[in-house]
Amino acid sequence: MKRRYPTTLRLIVRPLFVLLFCSSLVVFGTAQNPANTEGRGVLRLRVRVKDGEATRGLARKRFFLVRGTLEQNRSWIQESQTQAPVSRDCYYRTAGASQQLISWLKENDCESVYCREIRQDEWEGQNAVPEFRQAVQAGESEFKNPDVARKWFTVNLAPEIRDGFYRINRERLKRLLAAAESTSGAAVQSVMTDRNGTAYFTDLEPGVFVLTNLLPTEMTSTFVSWNCEVQIKAGDLGTERPFLVMNRQERNVKCVGVEKPLPVCESGTGQ
Amino acid sequence: MLQHGTAKSYQSQFRILLIRLCILSTVVLTAFLLCSSVALGQRRPQRTPVRRTAAADYSRFLHTTPKHRQPCNTCHKVPTRNWQEASSFPDIADYPDHAACVSCHRRQFFRGARPVICTVCHTTVSPRADERLAFRNPKHARQFTIEFPHDRHQDVIAINRRSERTGVFRRVSFYPQEPEKKYNNCAICHEPSPDFTVPPAGGWLDGYTPDALTFKTVPRDHASCFSCHYKTQTPTREECSGCHKLGVTESMVALLPKRISMKFKHDGGGEKRNHVQECSSCHINITKAQFARGLKPDVPITSCTECHNKDGLRLDLIGELVKIDKDRGFVCTYCHTSDVGKRDAPASHYMISGRPPMTRSDVK
Repeated sequence: MKRRYPTTLRLIVRPLFVLLFCSSLVVFGTAQNPANTEGRGVLRLRVRVKDGEATRGLARKRFFLVRGTLEQNRSWIQESQTQAPVSRDCYYRTAGASQQLISWLKENDCESVYCREIRQDEWEGQNAVPEFRQAVQAGESEFKNPDVARKWFTVNLAPEIRDGFYRINRERLKRLLAAAESTSGAAVQSVMTDRNGTAYFTDLEPGVFVLTNLLPTEMTSTFVSWNCEVQIKAGDLGTERPFLVMNRQERNVKCVGVEKPLPVCESGTGQ
Repeated sequence: MLQHGTAKSYQSQFRILLIRLCILSTVVLTAFLLCSSVALGQRRPQRTPVRRTAAADYSRFLHTTPKHRQPCNTCHKVPTRNWQEASSFPDIADYPDHAACVSCHRRQFFRGARPVICTVCHTTVSPRADERLAFRNPKHARQFTIEFPHDRHQDVIAINRRSERTGVFRRVSFYPQEPEKKYNNCAICHEPSPDFTVPPAGGWLDGYTPDALTFKTVPRDHASCFSCHYKTQTPTREECSGCHKLGVTESMVALLPKRISMKFKHDGGGEKRNHVQECSSCHINITKAQFARGLKPDVPITSCTECHNKDGLRLDLIGELVKIDKDRGFVCTYCHTSDVGKRDAPASHYMISGRPPMTRSDVK
């Protein structure tokens, strides 16, 4: 004799069985493969710039990868392009830096005083940088140790001179990063290029990304902004040709930067 | 009667259904918990749980004790009075003064002839003995983890535009190519260390003694921190929690870093010394690391195979993979000592060689 359940029971219980059975399959399946890392990609960047007559790898510059297409990320890209970037020289002039310090930064191609150790002739003597001399003298009186005073000279520099340029750029970067993360709905990844201008983004989900430097990169006489679409494929190890990024349209270049002249500083001395 | 019988039959069927439902739910729940524990087990590093005893143990000072969670400068003074004798720079070189303890622990201070609380700092418990243990005591597990955003520090110190002026590895330390100008780089904190050429307990594996340049140090004191973060650059020397995060667990810090490719030499690479690169050329994940927590100085195999797996140049990687094909017991020795060389080669090694990943058990 065939058993028959009431209709209401059949309607409720059978779908429940099916649902639970499917859930158990999914859960067991996940338990067997808790970390599925296959099917992710790598992006190998090669950034080269033509600066004056020379072409070189762009060393130690940060690049970002934002999920989505250029169109999907249009809002923060436009925002980044409307902000007037501050050049290094203009910043330090505005901050009241001495001409010697501005020259020191320029000669050493540094963005801040943290760039390299200072030499004795740079903190004492006729050619000394006044900010360095004052900071070392303050350190000597505080620490009673000339070696510590020299090595730790940055602790006695005015904050605007010490890391003010970094801080204003970082604030702008933070705002753009927040906008990019909010628009794309995903965390933004970043890497810095090495001395040859090479950098790797690893463990990327396949899909379309925007490769960007967010803040324009300062060259000798121009700012360069890069915003390009990149397609990441599953299993790409980045062993093929690198993704070539440049500020000029040349053969094999996949991302060409937009250049704008450096602004003229308020003091009129400019670059 | 018939209606009553039918109702009973429905009731029993309903009970059977309920039982089946319960069994199935239990199976699903168990699977879910199993899955969660597997995933969590993979993510969490093994650590010693903080000792919690019913009776207070006054021989150990715990920063996790609720009453010890005062601002750090309540007890620690930076620099300590003895810094000039104990250190080459203004540092915290000693334990807090007695006042920091006595304000609450007067009773423990004067309990018996040899109060156990004194052993937290002192080598000998005696009113006349003033000798203290090393600060910080290396025998004690660490109660704090360190937060260090590599990405920010690289942005601050390492930005300069000309590639030819960056630092490179040299025999003894990290010198710039122009000797009179010492550009800052990772070497501010990470240097070669003679400590690492001292063999570990039991000796070096396979009798292979690594070169001194195989390892780089990690900062063990405040020297490279306070040189910038002393007075006004936050976190300053008194804002300890900017870097030191109180952990819920204690951990011992390994002095020797874990090396996968023990035979790699930073100043190697043949006559041309091709290994002499900027650190981030190979340690590619460092530039995006926001925290020191969980940071591994990992190097992708692509950094090696640019030279070591090229047709017409060298086939060091694929050569060893082919040997595993023939002998599952083959130990890879070109880069690794036997502890690593006898394991299955990771999928990345096979994929970069254009082969499907496999394990030694797949070898017939």
